[in-house]
Amino acid sequence: MKGLLRLYPRSWRERYGREMEVLLEQMPGELGVGLDLVVGAAAAYAVVIRGNRILSAAGAYLHGVCVAVLLQAIAFVTFILYAQGSAASPAVAELGPIRFAVFTRPHLFGGLGALGSAVWTRTAAIEWLLGAAVLAMLIAALALVLASPRLLKSLR
Amino acid sequence: MRRQSAAVSLVLLALLAIVIAQASLVALLFVFSLVLTLRLGIEIGGGAMLMGSQLGYGQPQVTLFNAATVASAVFTGGCGAVAAARRFNRWRPDR
Repeated sequence: MKGLLRLYPRSWRERYGREMEVLLEQMPGELGVGLDLVVGAAAAYAVVIRGNRILSAAGAYLHGVCVAVLLQAIAFVTFILYAQGSAASPAVAELGPIRFAVFTRPHLFGGLGALGSAVWTRTAAIEWLLGAAVLAMLIAALALVLASPRLLKSLR
Repeated sequence: MRRQSAAVSLVLLALLAIVIAQASLVALLFVFSLVLTLRLGIEIGGGAMLMGSQLGYGQPQVTLFNAATVASAVFTGGCGAVAAARRFNRWRPDR
């Protein structure tokens, strides 16, 4: 369990390391204590990073990049959901003359009449539900990433 | 000299972060296209890659063009740069 203290920043270890080692010797080596140590290490690093202007800006950069990736994934899934529900085929995402993406449907059931159309509608409905579930998961992940700096701050 | 090398390192690390972010975005899109049973095509420069089943002719296909690839990289870097600049300007030492 003492090995987990190496996860903490050096300045923190120099100041509290000995006290913490003595404290850990008296405590049972349970999983909960280990988790507490890992969360405490993240909070200690957050304090160190916040205390330095450059490191703080670098942390914000990485946070912004993560938010951007999630926003783009949400845009992708939203486009798929829109294209699956849209009557236009192919569905195109474009801005003026610039084309970003195109969604094309197969014409496999074209010649099969009403049965083919019913099968296609059912498959599309299941895929739409799957897409909506993925979108909900991505929005939850985005909310978590946006809230993470405040959550880490509240751990102090 | 030390200041310049620090600036170059910072730029290289920022670019590395964008490359890693783009790679993870492609991985995410690949997973989503598997879940949603789509074929995913991505144009990169003169080349293109198609992800999905070789036998998936019955599957719908999404193609992302070069404009989307470039816009994605610019948007990712831009979001990071705006967040970093905002934090740098608003930073105050903890009391």
